Amino acid sequence: MLIELPEQCTQGAIENLWRKNRKAVKGLKAADSLSLDADRVQFLDGTGEAFVIALYRASAKQGFAIQCRDAQGVVARTLEQFDPARFAESSPGQFVRKRGTKLLVQLGESAVGLWNDMVDEFAHFGATVVALLRLLFSPHRLRWRDFWLNFERAGMDALPITMLVGFLIGLILAFMSAASLKQFGVEIYVADLICIGLFRELGPIITGIILTGRSGSAFAAELGTMKVNEEIDALTTFGLSPTEFLTLPRVLAATFVMPTLTIFSILSGLVGGAFVLLSMDIPAVAYCQHIAGSLSLNNALFGLGKSMVFGFLIGQVGCTQGLRTGRTADAVGRAATASVVGSLVLITIFDGGFAVLAYFMGF
Amino acid sequence: MNQAVITVTDLTAGYGKPILNHVSFEVREGEIFVILGGSGCGKSTILKHIIGLQPPLSGEIRILGDRIFGGDAAEAQRARRHFGVMYQSGALFGSMTLLENVCVPLESFTALPPDARRLLALMKLEQVGLKEYATFFPAEISGGMRKRAAIARSLALSPQILFLDEPSAGLDPITSAELDRLILRLRDEQRMTVVMVTHELPSIYAVADRCVMLDREAAGMIATGVPSELRDNPPSEKVRAFFNREPERKKTTDEVMK
Ligand SMILES: Nc1ncnc2c1ncn2[C@@H]1O[C@H](COP(=O)(O)OP(=O)(O)OP(=O)(O)O)[C@@H](O)[C@H]1O
Ligand SMILES: [Mg+2]
Repeated sequence: MLIELPEQCTQGAIENLWRKNRKAVKGLKAADSLSLDADRVQFLDGTGEAFVIALYRASAKQGFAIQCRDAQGVVARTLEQFDPARFAESSPGQFVRKRGTKLLVQLGESAVGLWNDMVDEFAHFGATVVALLRLLFSPHRLRWRDFWLNFERAGMDALPITMLVGFLIGLILAFMSAASLKQFGVEIYVADLICIGLFRELGPIITGIILTGRSGSAFAAELGTMKVNEEIDALTTFGLSPTEFLTLPRVLAATFVMPTLTIFSILSGLVGGAFVLLSMDIPAVAYCQHIAGSLSLNNALFGLGKSMVFGFLIGQVGCTQGLRTGRTADAVGRAATASVVGSLVLITIFDGGFAVLAYFMGF
Repeated sequence: MNQAVITVTDLTAGYGKPILNHVSFEVREGEIFVILGGSGCGKSTILKHIIGLQPPLSGEIRILGDRIFGGDAAEAQRARRHFGVMYQSGALFGSMTLLENVCVPLESFTALPPDARRLLALMKLEQVGLKEYATFFPAEISGGMRKRAAIARSLALSPQILFLDEPSAGLDPITSAELDRLILRLRDEQRMTVVMVTHELPSIYAVADRCVMLDREAAGMIATGVPSELRDNPPSEKVRAFFNREPERKKTTDEVMK
């Protein structure tokens, strides 16, 4: 078999040659021989060099001989630069990094990973609490500028979406419950229902979900990018604790933003409920009376206290995931995802805990 | 004399605000052209303009006759096919191994079969001494190795013109000398034109055919020519100081008093 290299061995020419001869070269046996004519070659680029090496590599593997005519010395030059033996692939996947693993290994790894996650989460939680306690004695240590910046970004900027969602939830809740209660002629009790529902459960939870998606993930992405850029390492070498410098302002901002946003979402929810009831010809005065009657200080404090805890959790999980990020861009994405998932799970668990607590305390 | 592959005509470079004014030079086929100047004088900026990441504020840049800005999309695409770039920060894709990184341009610009692409990528990694690290992720290798991997990636398509932004920063003297050898070989054997930014004087004398020197205070170019000639007959005090590695001279108290 004969392969003739053209005068100008540029990428396009070699591509064709390579594809045309691939099968035939693969089929060569030990007894065969291959003539490689490189006499005319004026110019051999990187692709051409790779083609030459590929032929010699195949010859070593399959045992056929190569007779080479190389008046210009380009083949010799290539062989001198690249030793074909060094590019032999002993196994097909030798140069491919294995990504997937066995199912059982994966299971084990994710279990260990989950455990490490929890341990890490606790360690960061502890660090935050310690930093908070220290803050009590020296409030000037907090980076107040960061605190207000995050308060604005996580809070004020989220006001429109929180109010919109709150309004719609109130509207939907009122509609659905009014349909059932109407059968008994007591639609007016919809007011009690949405008032208690919003204050105790829906307000904090809806706001928590919004804050998680908007700000918890943003914390994780921001700190994660800092980690990738080695900014966190730089902080540490300056003797600044990332917990105090980065986590604390964000966690505190989230903790105080949550009740503020929750109040607004509850109020818009009540307005949404009013829309439905007014459309059912229930007087606004009666609606307000029922709201005032069913709203107790306990309910209000319970809901707001809960929302503060949620805010703390969201900030804490977001920052922890950010600080634990790996060193690559996709790790930042994974940190953001993990922060959202972690926050939602924790919010649900804590909400259940609060329900049990309220039951026993008789709230 | 060889034909010009890059011509820069009366370029004003900058990001909205001009940083360099009235820059004109040309790079000829098969030469190693170095862009010199102090830190922050706009070397990376001018490189960004040439490779088409920033539009010129005024003036014109042509790569083998084609413009990236000022012409149509086909002309820009043609101009882009001619060159490979190594960015100052490396810019490797973090979620891919080194081998996969080098394969990226091969996958999008060639029709080579997968095993051919792999062999070609391995050979490029071998050229920069990183074949043993083919399956590593960028986060798992050192800064200098990342730089070399980025060079391997910029070489993957055997471009006619190669742009290197500080290729030898962060490399030890031996690796840096090997890099110089590689650059010379690319020019001699593959007729590649190399445009690079570097501060390393030994490397400049070893490889550079010609250079252009930029300056921040002058906001433009202050010299162009053959490095060793500029060193021996510096046209200005600044150029002399650069080649003699002198710190900028402060006026003495006496001079100030006068
Ligand atoms: N993205 C940008 N936007 C605005 N100004 C920029 C931007 N990047 C750089 N500059 C400015 O342009 C000037 C030149 O920067 P450039 O990065 O080109 O310097 P350089 O010569 O490459 O320096 P070095 O040797 O340190 O890499 C600097 O004064 C810098 O402030
Ligand atoms: Mg630069």
